[in-house]
Amino acid sequence: MDRPIKKIVIVGGGSAGWLSAGIIAAEHQTEGEHGIEITLIESPDVATIGVGEGSWPSMRQTLKAIGISETEFLLQCDATFKQASKFDNWISGANDSYFHPFSLPNGFFEANIAEFWQAHSQQVTFADATTAQSHLCKQGLAPKQITSPEYAFACNYGYHLDAGKFSQFLQKHCCEKLGVNHVLDHVVNINNHENGDIASVSTKQNGDIAGDLFIDCTGFKSLLLGEHYNIDFISQKHVLFNDTALAVHVPYPEENSPIASHTISTAQTSGWIWDIGLPSRRGVGHVYSSSHISDDEAEQQLRSYIAPTMCSDHNLTEIRKISINPGYRSKFWHKNCVAIGMSSGFIEPLEASALAMIELSAKMVAEQLPANRQVMDITAKRYNEKFSYRWQRIIEFLKLHYVLSNRTEPYWQDNKHSESIPEHLAELLTLWKYQTPYSYDTHHTEELFPAASFQYILYGMGFKTQLPERAKREDKSLIANKIFNDNIAHTHKLINALSTNRELLNKIKQYGLSKV
Amino acid sequence: MANHALVNPVAHKDIKIITDRSAKYGDNLWYALTFPREFRSAQAHYPIFFNKDPNTGKFVAVALFGFKDKENLFLDDDGWHASYIPASVQRHPFLIANQTVTEDGVEHKKRMLTLDMDSPRVSHVEGEPLFLPFGGNSDFLDKTASMMEALHLGAIDGQKFTQTLADLDLLEPFTLDVTLNNGSQHQMIGFYTINEDKLDALDIEQLQALKDAKYLQAIYMAIASQSNIRSLIDKKNALVAAQA
Repeated sequence: MDRPIKKIVIVGGGSAGWLSAGIIAAEHQTEGEHGIEITLIESPDVATIGVGEGSWPSMRQTLKAIGISETEFLLQCDATFKQASKFDNWISGANDSYFHPFSLPNGFFEANIAEFWQAHSQQVTFADATTAQSHLCKQGLAPKQITSPEYAFACNYGYHLDAGKFSQFLQKHCCEKLGVNHVLDHVVNINNHENGDIASVSTKQNGDIAGDLFIDCTGFKSLLLGEHYNIDFISQKHVLFNDTALAVHVPYPEENSPIASHTISTAQTSGWIWDIGLPSRRGVGHVYSSSHISDDEAEQQLRSYIAPTMCSDHNLTEIRKISINPGYRSKFWHKNCVAIGMSSGFIEPLEASALAMIELSAKMVAEQLPANRQVMDITAKRYNEKFSYRWQRIIEFLKLHYVLSNRTEPYWQDNKHSESIPEHLAELLTLWKYQTPYSYDTHHTEELFPAASFQYILYGMGFKTQLPERAKREDKSLIANKIFNDNIAHTHKLINALSTNRELLNKIKQYGLSKV
Repeated sequence: MANHALVNPVAHKDIKIITDRSAKYGDNLWYALTFPREFRSAQAHYPIFFNKDPNTGKFVAVALFGFKDKENLFLDDDGWHASYIPASVQRHPFLIANQTVTEDGVEHKKRMLTLDMDSPRVSHVEGEPLFLPFGGNSDFLDKTASMMEALHLGAIDGQKFTQTLADLDLLEPFTLDVTLNNGSQHQMIGFYTINEDKLDALDIEQLQALKDAKYLQAIYMAIASQSNIRSLIDKKNALVAAQA
């Protein structure tokens, strides 16, 4: 029981497997007497799913920590900068639109700026009043300059990327630079110790591969946690109805067509369409509730969305159908096995949380790696508590987008039924009728969504907070007005200094970004 | 917008170039590009640092003349007080253009001297003539042409130099905090310098490669040139005192 954890076996490639390998191998030496041996087993005959084309700003820190050059990442993974999500037609369906930017509102820590914006809500949207980012997105501008060092920014950003290329890129880096062993083989059996721990996995050609800790990155299959250990799956379909996605690649009309630096999410009658711009193509998909719309109708809506945005002589790639079972496991770390990625749970990509959850999961495994088997159960318990909490927060935050809509179709009306709304979210919504979300609404370290995100969604969707008419001793409205004015000046400065997303990416291709 | 014309003895036979140094001719520069082949002359007067070309993000070496935009502490009503002025400043109003010419059916690139006709340095009255009264280049034009050639080749070598420094991770950003005699504080950001600890940690092969490229001397001259910051501060103090 007090044997040190020396060998980690990751089952499954894809973004989850390779990100986990990279994050753990960047934290721990993989060579020498005190190194951790990391082996990733990837089946040559299982295709990775290749969704998850949007990341959060956390990916910048992750890539930097793994020792990756941002220039190489951008070029090899067909990646672009993502600064926000834009939600079209979510409020009423009549050409409405709002942004959820990655930057916090200007002056967020000086004053709860949302309170002071209420008085101006008829003149300016919350995002436009408090950040430069929504303005930059509308003009197609990049979040940084060619002179900005790698990973540095003028406005906070994450990425849009080609998930397939990303896995290959990470694989190369993990194997060549970080000493991760790569075994291309199919796992045919899982062998237990007497205590129920996994002792080894049997492969077709490489025999039994033993380990002290096994990481299940096998996607929806959940080979170790789900199939082997039968850990319960907690469905969330009663909260988030979407269970099917149709995905397609769309060519640009011209080689130098503008690239949006935000994800565009456009509400439909029974779901929504994502639109993600990469340098070489767009990734577009319709995610919907199969109980509210047929696949044929959903495909028709997807085609109607795409048609005006592409050249008539270009062809779409084949439309791929993906089934989603929204929910997560009752625990993620069981005995000496932890599931990371879709093996642990999956939810529609409305806020592109999948890659961020992988990063957070692998980071906690890397940083809290148990010294030995004896303490592993305690680590596992703490891990499970943390990630159950995180899944619940994601689900509540996604649900928030739906419950505030005024759309009238059955799907949208069903989304507002009280039995579909988690109790904690319902409480918050009641509270927020009279106060704005702020520091009391988020309390964990590494909270997934800061209070600012709740503000962007609530006030973007037109939610009304009626602040009580109470006189405060300290009047912060002067500070708030200064913050609003500063934001206008800062926005002008950035608009003059920044080039378009496409121009910057072309320059990076030509000159690269420097490290400092 | 610059209006560049190929220098030619017919169109430009009466053109003179004003070589005086003054703010009205655009000499009120905060810094200007420099390159290793002129470091020996430049480091005698100016601190040499690095910054990024705003168009490409690539590092370039620059000679510093002041602490903020449009401040050249070497320049006053009597001219530019230093025995050497970087070639990238001296070149105005000339530029080198690449022209594709076909000779004997073979296309090749030729470097041609061009002149910015809109520059306030271009005159019919005062300054150095480009051509002699009865034809032929003036000494001034010949000297300018050879300086432009040196600048062209020096700048190309300079790009390789700064790329080498960047590849070896030797450049680091620094913030210059200056406190003047009158107590006012100024901060200068956006410049880079050579990290001496990293330089000391290079292995023998890396040092040999730098030496072979004739960059080792340039690195030490750039480091030594930082002591010119002191005289730049002195000039600034004198200026502030005179204006007080």
